[in-house]
Amino acid sequence: MNKFSLSLCVAALLLPSLNAQDAVSFKADIAPILINNCLACHGPKKAEGGYRVDTFERFLREGDSGAAAITAGNHDESESLRRIKSEDEFERMPLENDPLAAAEIELIEKWVTEGAKYDAEDPKAFLSTIVPAPTHPTPPEVYPLTVPITSVAFSPDGSQVVTGGYHEVVLWNATDGTLVKRIQNVGQRTFALRFSHDGQHLVAAGGAPGKLGEARIFDAASGDLVTVLGTTSDVVLDVQFSPAGDRLAIAGADSTIRIYEFPAGNLVRAISSHSDWIMAVAWDNEGKRLASASRDKTAKLFDVETGELLVTYSGHNNHVKGVAFHPDNQHIYTAGGDKKVHWWKAADAKKVGELAQGGEVYKLEKIGGVITTSSADRTVRQIDAATQKEVRNYGGHADWTLSSAFHESTKRIAGGAFDGAVKIWNTEDGAEVISFVAAPGAK
Amino acid sequence: MQFRNLRKTYVLMVASLLWSGLATVGLQAEEAQLERIEVYPAEVQLTGVREQAQLVVTGHFADGSIQDLTRAATVSTANAEVVTVDGTVAYPQANGDGALNVEAGGKTATVKVVVTNQDQPQPVSFLYDTLAALSKNSCNAGACHGSPSGKGGFRLSLRAFDPKLDELTLIREDFGRRTNSLDPENSLLLLKPLMKVAHGGGRQIRAGDPAYAVIRDWIAEGCKMDTAEAARPVKIEVYPKSGRVLKKPAMQQQLSVWAHFSDGSVRDVTPLAVFSSSDVEVADVDRNGLVEGLKRGEVAVVVRYLEFIESSFITFVEDVENFVWNDPQVNNYIDVAVDDKLKQLKYLPSDLCTDEEFIRRVYLDVIGILPTLEEVTAFAADEDPAKRDKTIDSLLDRSEFSKFWALKWGDLLRLTSGQVTNEGVYKYYRWVERSFRENQPYDEFATELLTATGSTFSNPAANFYRTSKDMNDCVETISQVFLGARLQCAKCHNHPFERWTQDNYYGMAAFFNRVQRANTKRANEMFIYVSQSGEVTQPRTQQQMKPWAPGVGDIEEPNEFDRRIDFANWLTKPDNPYFAKIEVNRIWSQVFGRGIVEPADDFRDTNPPSNAVLLDQLAKDFVENGYDRKKILATILKSRTYQTSYQPNEFNEDDTKYFSHYQPRLLSAEQLLDAICHVTQVAESFGGLPPGTKATHLPAPDLVNNEFLKIFGQPERQTVCACERTNESNLSMAIQFFNGPLIYNKLKNESNSFRKSITAGEDDTQIITRLYNLAVCRNPSETELKASLDHIASKENRVEALEDICWAILNTNEFLFQH
Repeated sequence: MNKFSLSLCVAALLLPSLNAQDAVSFKADIAPILINNCLACHGPKKAEGGYRVDTFERFLREGDSGAAAITAGNHDESESLRRIKSEDEFERMPLENDPLAAAEIELIEKWVTEGAKYDAEDPKAFLSTIVPAPTHPTPPEVYPLTVPITSVAFSPDGSQVVTGGYHEVVLWNATDGTLVKRIQNVGQRTFALRFSHDGQHLVAAGGAPGKLGEARIFDAASGDLVTVLGTTSDVVLDVQFSPAGDRLAIAGADSTIRIYEFPAGNLVRAISSHSDWIMAVAWDNEGKRLASASRDKTAKLFDVETGELLVTYSGHNNHVKGVAFHPDNQHIYTAGGDKKVHWWKAADAKKVGELAQGGEVYKLEKIGGVITTSSADRTVRQIDAATQKEVRNYGGHADWTLSSAFHESTKRIAGGAFDGAVKIWNTEDGAEVISFVAAPGAK
Repeated sequence: MQFRNLRKTYVLMVASLLWSGLATVGLQAEEAQLERIEVYPAEVQLTGVREQAQLVVTGHFADGSIQDLTRAATVSTANAEVVTVDGTVAYPQANGDGALNVEAGGKTATVKVVVTNQDQPQPVSFLYDTLAALSKNSCNAGACHGSPSGKGGFRLSLRAFDPKLDELTLIREDFGRRTNSLDPENSLLLLKPLMKVAHGGGRQIRAGDPAYAVIRDWIAEGCKMDTAEAARPVKIEVYPKSGRVLKKPAMQQQLSVWAHFSDGSVRDVTPLAVFSSSDVEVADVDRNGLVEGLKRGEVAVVVRYLEFIESSFITFVEDVENFVWNDPQVNNYIDVAVDDKLKQLKYLPSDLCTDEEFIRRVYLDVIGILPTLEEVTAFAADEDPAKRDKTIDSLLDRSEFSKFWALKWGDLLRLTSGQVTNEGVYKYYRWVERSFRENQPYDEFATELLTATGSTFSNPAANFYRTSKDMNDCVETISQVFLGARLQCAKCHNHPFERWTQDNYYGMAAFFNRVQRANTKRANEMFIYVSQSGEVTQPRTQQQMKPWAPGVGDIEEPNEFDRRIDFANWLTKPDNPYFAKIEVNRIWSQVFGRGIVEPADDFRDTNPPSNAVLLDQLAKDFVENGYDRKKILATILKSRTYQTSYQPNEFNEDDTKYFSHYQPRLLSAEQLLDAICHVTQVAESFGGLPPGTKATHLPAPDLVNNEFLKIFGQPERQTVCACERTNESNLSMAIQFFNGPLIYNKLKNESNSFRKSITAGEDDTQIITRLYNLAVCRNPSETELKASLDHIASKENRVEALEDICWAILNTNEFLFQH
């Protein structure tokens, strides 16, 4: 008896895996079809016919017609399937568009036949969060054009500078600007690059505008993809390690901050308070509070453990694009579209002072005690985080500077520009160390 | 390459429309013989890889009529290596000479083709291709991303008037998120309008659209800006030109649009042009430039390519069963012009109005008040066949004429004591009134007004610059009053529908920015003078503007003391295209209740005149007669057109714009109040104004506070818009006439007209007849008289019965309306 049941168990365990190649997976096979072909009209922004497909649950729920959208095992009582297959072009989905590929229709049919099963955890989860991480296209071998340098970082030892490319992250020699390594399988654009505290992992946050946002964690040495976190429907604009290095805050165009444990990768908390894109986030010195900068013209401060909104700062009256904590942990720096850096009290969001910048500030970074800003006046500015004094500014770029980074031990600052150029300066004398175009093969 | 998808669309389009065109040819063939076909352009030059040429095929028939045969035509190439054709659009293939053979309705024509520059790249122009493509798809429309704050975080300049801003937004804003030159079709700028990514505005573009190809290729080429030396468009040309007449059932017309560039090249921009119809009840136009007539009438099809606007006027006619032209009486050129239009559109003018209708109508129109009993009687008794003309001439010499027309101009010039003070308003009013009394030529009037300086007391015309408080107010007021153009939009951006640009606005402003306004020591007086310096800066381009006038452009050497003189000189030149037309149209609208251009102060391509010939002739007459306002008014009043009956016939019932019959309209507030006083013989008192002052002679609305006038649409004169005076009926008006205090008190007045008649011993018939003559200038009919007498007989109280009768007469449409 025992033996028999054991063998049954083994069979039960084995069968699905044996058939895995044949069974249709909702999250891997069906959800991507829905995202690419249906979501634009049947989603949270537009719900044509009262029907939405942004979650599994909604995909099954009937629309205004009242006809069952999907009935497990029954093609005839699956209105969605019928509309996809319809021969009548005024009825066929997607409307006014080419029909789905035969192979895609076949997959959906098979999935319905097999019982329309859900193979992710939460049926209310947005489809974009359950689809397996895609394998991204390979970048061009030789870039026909440069791409804006929207992110730049130094390797932990300062010997390399890392930039976001097109569907890749590129490592360059920080002394001579030669290409060291190309890490592929990266989203279309990268807006933030961070090394883990131990230097073992490199996080690249970004995605494809309007379509995908994610933070990809790579093994820094091998360039292998380790995991993907924070997948959403539009680009991720910033990612920050907590001071202890055990958490990641990820935020972007979906106006939500997501906090993950690192390296475990489990979601600790999602904070949705902003009404527009979150451009940047910053941890306080103890990892207890998170500050955020948003296109909704505010900066906000949250309690990490509860997710509670502590204060809102509206002093910029313009897009806020960068945020950092003061070393005293009592003040917060923000910068943005008003061409200024403000600092204000974390306790009551009262403004304390401001520092003029030459143009709209795209990013504000703080590494060690050094704040760097990159702005439309083609300049990177170095500000002492303790005294709010501008220490030096670094010009010479021919276009807007979009990104910057400071390296403590080598005392260098890197700045990336819209035209694809990267410059590295020595902070001791302000001299330009090197300047190169960070696009493999581009002239 | 970039047009491959376009061709596919076009073939489909042609295929689906082919049958209707062929059917048309067949039908017409029964009636008239197709003699020949004509193809435009007669010769095609394709001077680059992106060029194309939309052919328009016109059939000429034996009866002189023409039809658009573009959809029915078959076009083939004689040399496919050089030029290919899809439907009726030609595309270049290789340098060389070629020919296209066009066949329609059995007739043929050949079009020579010259193809050049196929061995050279022709990059997409940001300014002239990409921005036009965005406009074509309405991305930058006012309701979408062209609104001042954009939509969904994406803001474009309204109709691409600010290319610098658009460059920034499209290529650079938000880290260059919207374009992807490494994978153009994956650009957000294309994915959104395709609805590949959720888009609040829904699907706006198709992958086969020419506009799609333009945007995609521009991104693929690296989102390049135009070089400084690149040729710029200087004008556009629409084919066919205005004046085409199409007869049902052949009411289709394909348009083609040609942009002329500064290097002399001409490009077919039909796929990137935006088309709209001035009257969608008469004709529709689709995005490909195909006009579809729906019923008889006229439209201006307005074509816009970037900031260039042109229109093509098309007349649609149809046969009307049993319609026979009745050769109506012709008094002067006005009737000829009106009749030509009526004949073409098959409307029959109504008969002449009766003498009773005429005298009431002409008194109200010329002097604003009703004729006295004696005048009514004398006119009826006059047997002179020229008595109508005589009456018109005598009315124009009455003092009430100048006062009544000063009221009309008071509206335009915003005469209120609030704006020019109590003391000032009387002086200003007398100045305007004097101009009519002395029949000051209109060009002198305008010049005196626009170049006025000095004390607002000693030179009341200077009040013009008191009511026009600043430079912007001057530009907007002067353009609306004298140019018939509403320029307010152009203050912040190019006018979205018209040819006025933001540069034009500030160029006009440079005539008036130096006007200074200073208070003097005398209370209520202001001193207007012109300073000798001060320039206008265009807020968007930061450019210093030279004074600019339409048609002549920048004034290079303006008058060094007063630039307004240059403006006045330009304005009053005999060939000024606006000045005379606007004024004759305004005068016309005063007596017809509708302008030839309507609204009368809204001249624009999208609002064409209902009879352009008539308007031109009136303006010409006006100019040739030295801007004599009385004379042109007399000419209008003496026309049969003015004197037609308000009663329509079966062939003109649905005409409201071609003046086939008189359009009845509610008396204006002031006319109505005076008319009530006239019938009841009880004068209204207006505060401090002399007893007996008529409402039509009030210098300003805010000198009195009369509820009745306000309810009936007396304007507050806060704007220069003629629309401020409204005669749309509303409930308050009905209540006023039903049991309002004004009428009640006059009916109850102890010395009103019928009470005086009773005292004088008149009998009921006499009193009733008198009331009818006072109110509607005629004797009561037998039925009316009998009903009135029966009513008096049925009541115990004779006076109360007469009150009822008077009340009933005041409530008739015949009294309330001018007809």
